[in-house]
Amino acid sequence: MKKVLWAGALGLLMPVIAAAGEYNITVDRVMIDTGDFVKEGIGYNGASPGPVLRFKEGETAKINVTNNLDEATSIHWHGLILPFEQDGVPGISFPGIPAGETFTYEFPVVQSGTYWFHSHSGFQEPNGAYGAIVIEPEGREPFRYNREYVIQLTDKHPHDANRIMRNLKKMPDYYNRKQQTVGDFFSDMSNHGFMTTLQDRLAWGDMRMMKADVEDVQGFTGLINGKGPDQNWTGLFEPGERIRLRFINSSAMAYFDIRIPGLEMTVVQADGNNVQPVTVDEFRIGVAETYDVIVRPKTAEAYTIFAESMGRSGYARATLAPEEGMEGAVPDLREAPLLTMADMGGMHGMDHGSMDMSDSSDMSDMDHSSMESMDHSAMEMEDSEQPGSDMESMDNSGMAGMDHSSMIMPEGGASDPFYAEGSGLVPVAANGGKFLSYADLRAQKPLYEEREPTREIELRLTGNMERYTWSINGVKYEDAEPLKLQYGERVRFKFVNETMMTHPMHLHGMWSILDVGAGQWNPVKHTVSVQPGTTVYMETEVDAPGQWAFHCHLSYHAASGMFRKVVVEGGPDQGNTVGIKAEQDGGDA
Amino acid sequence: MNASKLIVMAAAMSVTGTAFAAGSHGGGHGGGVGEPGKAADASRTIQVEMHDNYYEPEAIDVTRGETVRFVIENRGNLVHEFNIGTPEMHDAHQDEMKMMVEHGVIEGGKLHHDMMNMDMGNGHSMKHDDPNSVLVEPGDTKEIVWTFSSKTTMEFACNIPGHYQSGMYGDVNFESAADTQASAH
Repeated sequence: MKKVLWAGALGLLMPVIAAAGEYNITVDRVMIDTGDFVKEGIGYNGASPGPVLRFKEGETAKINVTNNLDEATSIHWHGLILPFEQDGVPGISFPGIPAGETFTYEFPVVQSGTYWFHSHSGFQEPNGAYGAIVIEPEGREPFRYNREYVIQLTDKHPHDANRIMRNLKKMPDYYNRKQQTVGDFFSDMSNHGFMTTLQDRLAWGDMRMMKADVEDVQGFTGLINGKGPDQNWTGLFEPGERIRLRFINSSAMAYFDIRIPGLEMTVVQADGNNVQPVTVDEFRIGVAETYDVIVRPKTAEAYTIFAESMGRSGYARATLAPEEGMEGAVPDLREAPLLTMADMGGMHGMDHGSMDMSDSSDMSDMDHSSMESMDHSAMEMEDSEQPGSDMESMDNSGMAGMDHSSMIMPEGGASDPFYAEGSGLVPVAANGGKFLSYADLRAQKPLYEEREPTREIELRLTGNMERYTWSINGVKYEDAEPLKLQYGERVRFKFVNETMMTHPMHLHGMWSILDVGAGQWNPVKHTVSVQPGTTVYMETEVDAPGQWAFHCHLSYHAASGMFRKVVVEGGPDQGNTVGIKAEQDGGDA
Repeated sequence: MNASKLIVMAAAMSVTGTAFAAGSHGGGHGGGVGEPGKAADASRTIQVEMHDNYYEPEAIDVTRGETVRFVIENRGNLVHEFNIGTPEMHDAHQDEMKMMVEHGVIEGGKLHHDMMNMDMGNGHSMKHDDPNSVLVEPGDTKEIVWTFSSKTTMEFACNIPGHYQSGMYGDVNFESAADTQASAH
């Protein structure tokens, strides 16, 4: 380890735009070859993904974006702190970039780390319009490594995104291949008995969803840096080197569980902000999140970067190797998780339709810490050596009024404070080792002084799976008033996920300080995943005047209404909002 | 943490402990890492700053047989370690440090001294009193006097979980010119 190359000094093997002040990007129709299929899409500078943009903290970035499409476009700089007119959301920040025109973005680069950029117009992003941003810090990095790679993931689907949206609207389970079958019914019946199995199915049916609704758009090919599993993107290394991997999840819908069998990964950054290093065997990356890890392969062999989607319906794969052409073993996909009753913990926000609540009055004041008040006689516990043990601490705060006494419970075991107790989604490392939790994240250096929030805003994440509508507080974007914040306040957002899907909530323009109970060391993010049946808090220092987007980053959830405009009132640049029409046509993710 | 895991870790601690008692090291290869020295014998002082999470400087030059006084100042907000050894020794020591973090002995910027005497069973504690290492709290300064022996692959390192892995280490380089001189002794 005599030769140490400094952070960001070299961009290796990736398309690089020299770190000067000015950049040119064209928005083009491109062909995307996943190895499984070839599909027309949208890219930047003739390719999808687009280039890795390399900025330096402290410089002013000037980016000329030329729209070669026959429709309007936009580029949003995901995670970057900048004046709102530069944020790239049509209808909120600016009118968009008309076909054939060039728009010049210009903003000071005031941060460092790994970020990404994507179109915020229609479904251009899931159709391929995304790229990576790497910002070199003004000072030194608080860690070191010999080389670095961007690892940008996506879930490329053979269908055009507009078609996917239409299909989901017509039939929300159109792309859900994991629906439970008659065969599952008989198999559960032999394990649990006919009545319990029937009641289990009826209970789920009443809630208009299925246990297998972990991923509502399946059938994609996972890509890493634009390469499908068989195309095997490869990054080279010399044994003994430390390698920084900048993971970015640019998927439309898919969360990925990422591991590199044979290597531990030391997480050093989340969403562009340094975190106190934590060494893990595997981590889950939500849509729009980034995680930087440092790995150190000591032997001259090929290591597989394996990214299984959370619902196990697809995977991405790449390789770290001492030379091109080497391959490591590619693991099998693990069994798909099934949602449990716990994942429905906050489900009162869903449309329960004709659900019968007549016999549930005795459950409305249920105290699950003492099981006596609850009729669980018909409840089946798989692996139930200690019946009730995995029920005792279950957070059923939102369950009042639901008769779930006959639902089949999963075995207890893995737990994570950011998942409902007993959730079927709690991730477990493939090798039995350490799986990263939000609870492990600590800011490397507090970004803001700790202070009490000035007020709390509750945002219930809501939806109706039957009609494929997604909303906040039961109101979808086009029907909602903007969320008004005052410049200078510190707002505590309370996310209550009342759906059974995970929502990666992304606030533009201001940081999301995720409450992991660590006070001033709480990690600072731009995208916060809220798991089904959970309540998650984040705080925001309202320090950016103007108007901003705030939405679920799942493309089809944002487009169907889980989206808000945020207006920051007051502040030094208040005058800038004058002239921006409060158009409501910006519901593009 | 279950009992069996605890015993394994306790065993790991005793291995490094014993290695030092014998004046050798736990790395399992040829060269010796040296031994604690007396301040009076120190030929010079090397100032080392700890930051979150790196050292300044990140490499030092020593000669064989030289006794160096290290003055180590923690300028960061987190507890850090300064530990002189081979990469293998650091690797082994990382399990002990992990235990100290898991038991709350080291908590971000705090070192809970009262917990370091906690009985871990089998006569082990988490005292962290090996002579080749110091734990330094933010704002504090500590010293180590070390006599280097033969040329070997050595690093100074912080073995608090994640710190070494993300690059909080420095190289100990044996000066070749001085080596010639030293070998004349």
